[in-house]
Amino acid sequence: MRLNNLLIYFLIGFLIGCSDNKLHHGKDYIFGTLIDIKIYGESKVNAEKVSDEIFTEFHRLHKLLHPWEKSLITDINNAISKNKSISINNDEIIKILTDVQRLETQTQNLFNPSIGKLIKLWGFHSNDYNRKTIPNEEIIQKLVSSNPSMQSIIIKNGILKSNNKNVQIDLGGYAKGYALDQAKKILKNNNVKNALINIGGNILAFGKYDERDWVVGIQNPRKPNILATIALKPGWAIGTSGDYQRYIMVDNKRFSHLINPKTGYPERKTQSATILLPPSEDSGTLSDVFSKPLFIISKKNKVNMATLLNINYFLIIMDDDSILLSKSLNKEINWEDDIDKKNITIF
Amino acid sequence: MTLSTINIINRDHQIAKLSAIAVALSLIEFFLPSPIPGVKPGIANIIILYTIFKFDLRMGIWVSLIRVFVTGILLGTFLSPTFFLSLSGALFSLFSLIIFRNLNSKYFSIISFSLIASLAHIAGQFIIVRFWIIPHNGIFYLLPIFIISAFIFGLVNALVTSKLLQLNSKK
Amino acid sequence: MIKKILQFFKLIKSGDWFIIILFCGLIIFSTKFLWNLPQGEYLEIYKRNEILATYSLNQKITKIINGSKGETKINIDNGKVRFSSAPCAKKYCIHQGWINKANQTIICIPNQISISIVGAKRKYDSINY
Repeated sequence: MRLNNLLIYFLIGFLIGCSDNKLHHGKDYIFGTLIDIKIYGESKVNAEKVSDEIFTEFHRLHKLLHPWEKSLITDINNAISKNKSISINNDEIIKILTDVQRLETQTQNLFNPSIGKLIKLWGFHSNDYNRKTIPNEEIIQKLVSSNPSMQSIIIKNGILKSNNKNVQIDLGGYAKGYALDQAKKILKNNNVKNALINIGGNILAFGKYDERDWVVGIQNPRKPNILATIALKPGWAIGTSGDYQRYIMVDNKRFSHLINPKTGYPERKTQSATILLPPSEDSGTLSDVFSKPLFIISKKNKVNMATLLNINYFLIIMDDDSILLSKSLNKEINWEDDIDKKNITIF
Repeated sequence: MTLSTINIINRDHQIAKLSAIAVALSLIEFFLPSPIPGVKPGIANIIILYTIFKFDLRMGIWVSLIRVFVTGILLGTFLSPTFFLSLSGALFSLFSLIIFRNLNSKYFSIISFSLIASLAHIAGQFIIVRFWIIPHNGIFYLLPIFIISAFIFGLVNALVTSKLLQLNSKK
Repeated sequence: MIKKILQFFKLIKSGDWFIIILFCGLIIFSTKFLWNLPQGEYLEIYKRNEILATYSLNQKITKIINGSKGETKINIDNGKVRFSSAPCAKKYCIHQGWINKANQTIICIPNQISISIVGAKRKYDSINY
């Protein structure tokens, strides 16, 4: 009877449908942002164990690196503001601070994690950005001309000292990316093959989703939709600096948390800068760090900065909705239908 | 008059009578409130099933199509979306009955036919809704409700029809 | 009553059971796949097959949409949405009440207005922002 065959197909289809539990999903709220972990192809027990391990690691980093709640960083900042030296017996922090010094130089001081005072002044050292006014011009100028830089920090034999009292370390533009790389290590140690880690928008693709690459959507800075989708090959990371997540509104003007260390003011000509980085040990960190200089620097220098930092995949949206897109990324990106292609310039 | 023409006239009378009842039931159903949009018991289908089992499939097709057209004209919905919904449902269920007409009656009773026809009916209506009236995928959300109601009313209609057939065969 | 039910069961033949089981399978299948709904994020408003507007569900506003018969009022209230007035006769769309999950839909056939909730993830596995 033909119907019998139908029934068998039906049951098989049903069973296959039921057994699609290969994607494990974990969510948590750390670093003041949403963490989303997807693990594919592991048993439920194993996937849960690994994602718990990652979350535990993130909580540890949160406590270690937090810029305004009590952490090792705030201890260091307190010592610096009192012009005291502080002994650190934590190799990880020393390594991070050295790394950050190198990155500051590499980005021509546009990624500057020592401007904690400016960030605090603009009201971004709180969980709700409710500042209603622009800070006093003189105070901003004073802070900028004091030239805070990670280079004024000297670490010798576990003793940290800063030549500049106005240096306040804020690893806001580094911690999430660093956490991605830590997550990558945990995945490797546990022999997980496929995962997608999203820390507040910074994403690292690990392996694939079944037979295909992981696909990420890129947020439209001014609409509640995505702008485009892109397939992240195994090991690739994507990071965006945008003015639409953390910002204050003063007189209908948007001031984001992305402060130009050279002016002391938030950069207002750029809406977002997105970069993709190929697999490397610190691709997560770099995807977080390198989007900042690309966001902050003036439009005419953006492409040069990308070249300097060796970024082949970038997408930058300016305040007039014009889009700067790299040639390599142009080949990979899938635009949503409502995007006006006339605004795109390819470099 | 030969015997065969008398038979034909008789047959036409039967069709007219059964169609009239089907139309009446459709009208009643139209004015009855329904708890969920699009979910209706389809009590006119009892008459169609009855016709098919009491007489034959051909006659069932006649009654079904006459019901759709007459109801449409009487309600003023003729050639409106509502009419085409009804027509598509009727055509699909008739088509399903034609396909499955050879199911062995040793294993399959009126229940199977009723269930198959009611599923085909909602399939026909759903296709019209999806591709014409509301052409977006959101309505797939309502599909399970339609399927569940098709199941329940398919069973109930089968039950009522078999009761009717029993009563009439006793006469 | 019980006797009648038993009588009904006697009517069911082996092939009927087969069809009934098939049907139940279809019900489970369709509910599982079509009602597996994550929390919604955005609201799409349609007039026939054309998207009139998209709104975030995370706000509290009332929108008035002109359909083919008249005005339909749509309330968005922090994560959920409903029709609060419509020019149709039977008001099914209003009786459907609040919806809040992705893929949930309210349809008003007479006025040709429908709304559909869209979840955050669609063509992608995660979102970069």
